[in-house]
Amino acid sequence: MKGPDIVWYLAVAAFLFTTGALGVLIRRSPLIILLSLEIMLNGANLALIAFSRFHGQGDGQIFALTVMAIAASEVVVGLGLIVAMAKRRLDLDVDKLRTLRG
Amino acid sequence: MIAAAWICLFAPLGAALLITLAGQRLSRRGAGYLATGSVGVSFVAALVTFALLLGDSPGDRSHPSTAWHWLTAGSYTFDLGILVDQLSVFMMLIVAGVGFLIVAYSIGYMEGDDEERRYFAYMALFVFSMLLLVQAGNLLILLAGWGLVGLSSYLLIGFWHDRPSAVAAAKKAFIMNALGDATMALALFLLVQQTGSLDFGVVFPAAGGLSTTVANLVALGLLGGAVAKSAQLPLQTWLPDAMEGPTPVSALIHAATMVTAGVYLIVRTSALFEAAPKVQELSAGLGAATLLVAGLIALVQTDIKRVIAYSTMSQIGYMFLAVGIGAYATGMFHLMTHAFFKALLFMAAGIVIHALAGEQDLREMGGLRSFLPRTYWAFLVGGLALAGMPVFSGFFSKDPILSSALAEGWYGELLWVVGMVGCFLTGLYTFRMIFLAFWGEAKVSDVHAPVKDVPGISLGVPVAVLTVLAAIAGFLQVFELWTPVSDWLDPVAPPLVVPSTSQEVVSSLCAVLLGLAGIGIAWWIYGARKAEAPASLPLLEHKFYFDELYDAIFYRPAVLLSQGLLRFVERPLVFGSLRELGEGMRELGQATRNLQTGLVRTYAFAIAASVTVVTVVLVAVR
Repeated sequence: MKGPDIVWYLAVAAFLFTTGALGVLIRRSPLIILLSLEIMLNGANLALIAFSRFHGQGDGQIFALTVMAIAASEVVVGLGLIVAMAKRRLDLDVDKLRTLRG
Repeated sequence: MIAAAWICLFAPLGAALLITLAGQRLSRRGAGYLATGSVGVSFVAALVTFALLLGDSPGDRSHPSTAWHWLTAGSYTFDLGILVDQLSVFMMLIVAGVGFLIVAYSIGYMEGDDEERRYFAYMALFVFSMLLLVQAGNLLILLAGWGLVGLSSYLLIGFWHDRPSAVAAAKKAFIMNALGDATMALALFLLVQQTGSLDFGVVFPAAGGLSTTVANLVALGLLGGAVAKSAQLPLQTWLPDAMEGPTPVSALIHAATMVTAGVYLIVRTSALFEAAPKVQELSAGLGAATLLVAGLIALVQTDIKRVIAYSTMSQIGYMFLAVGIGAYATGMFHLMTHAFFKALLFMAAGIVIHALAGEQDLREMGGLRSFLPRTYWAFLVGGLALAGMPVFSGFFSKDPILSSALAEGWYGELLWVVGMVGCFLTGLYTFRMIFLAFWGEAKVSDVHAPVKDVPGISLGVPVAVLTVLAAIAGFLQVFELWTPVSDWLDPVAPPLVVPSTSQEVVSSLCAVLLGLAGIGIAWWIYGARKAEAPASLPLLEHKFYFDELYDAIFYRPAVLLSQGLLRFVERPLVFGSLRELGEGMRELGQATRNLQTGLVRTYAFAIAASVTVVTVVLVAVR
């Protein structure tokens, strides 16, 4: 097999995933949270594709394509919500959107 | 023949369903005609069956027929099957014949009632149930019919449901009958376990092979059912109360047919009873005790229908006595004549009650002979038949029972003495009733105009027919000289005793003399008024304190128990625990609501942390 060892791919994937997760947990702007989610998904995709190459099978790649399609739809919905919030002049801060508090 | 028997069975059911489903589309009168017609069809079908059965050779008159397999449980199968033989045809003729007359009588009697359609639907349902009972081809179907007649009896006793007393009487009858149904069902369970079947053809031949204990238990269970249905001691208290139902109901169900089902059951299952001779003797003893107790209580009753009800219990006591000592055909013959004269007495009493606009108290009657001469004659014929006076039907059917008892050893002689006392009492209470109602000074100036001895075709014709039958039906069997009834029934249940001629002569003579003595005393006290009746007989007026006894033994403890349970179990445990459960849930919710912060990032953190922990644990465990 050509190219670097699989460990490198996984390391990059883990780094991307962690970066995204930290973004989701730390940032308060819904737009950034959506971006961070995308980074998490891409980290996962990278791991899938790396394993797919490693095993010489196409399954992981197909799965990654599915994840991308779903990520695209999710972003459409998320951005739509953010646009709707902005139009109503609500604060773009997830800590202030807590009407579902128990 | 089989087809006719099936038609006989299902015609009344069809009428009951039609009347129920048609509702308002059927006129009230139409419902009456439909019910009467269907029972008439049954009677004709029964006659046809009888005629065809006559054509068979005497040894080959038992014809089972199966409609379909009803129940299958493991290796047991139960068929919806009927059995046409001498005994079932005998009962079919009585049920459908007397039933036809009484349903026809009901058209006139119930006219103007608010719920005639319901009444006629119930009546037709009853006739179907009774026919199912007598035609059943196995004990399970018999039990189904047994339960259905109990149900129709309940419905009809409580027919006037706006009277609390009628509702209470209906409940009482149903509960007492349910007790009998239960013991009977237990006996059937035991039979299935022992013989693997409930078909007459399998069970009866196997009866001899049962162990003594099993045979005794089975016979006791069946006897329990018979005693409850036939209002014998100790389950007799429901029958007098059942007089709350309309009078034709009393005539059909509580005199002519349903209450004699116990006698039929013992004759039908005679093989099982013969395997348990002690239980069979017990049934004779219970019959004797009942005929005495009921005869005594009848002496002080003031309600005309209750007098007849107690006389019914007493007469069924004679039948139990007969089948208990093994004189099956004799008992069945008395069942038939009793159906005629007792239905006659009830229907004549119904005309009297109708004429007096609902008055049933004997003390308020008197001198009715001049207002209702034809009814008086009908009543007199019924009374003479009941008292067993010669040439009337009761004479020919009651006396062989007593002479059979005389042929049965010391136990039989004891029963014979009780039966003789019963004869005396029968004459006394019957004619007390007749003299009180029809003789003496008139207490009413006139009777209810529309029925003034022109009771109409519907009321009059059935009474006339039954008067003739009560007078002459006895000639169907004249002692040993002419015995078509015994010849007909003996192949089904061969008699265990046959009285000798001298016993018959002695017994009949004594019975007639004692009956005459009873009538004479009744005339002396109530007819000629030359002596005063004892003012008060508390023991008899309280019906030997049976109701009070059952009240104290069963009712009060049950009430106390349920009150105690309500107070110490229901309220603290059941109600209390439910409330506690609700409160606890609410508190739990209050405590956990703070977990829902509404902060998306907290949720995300919780998910991430949980996934991490789970992953770490999984990896560590591996």
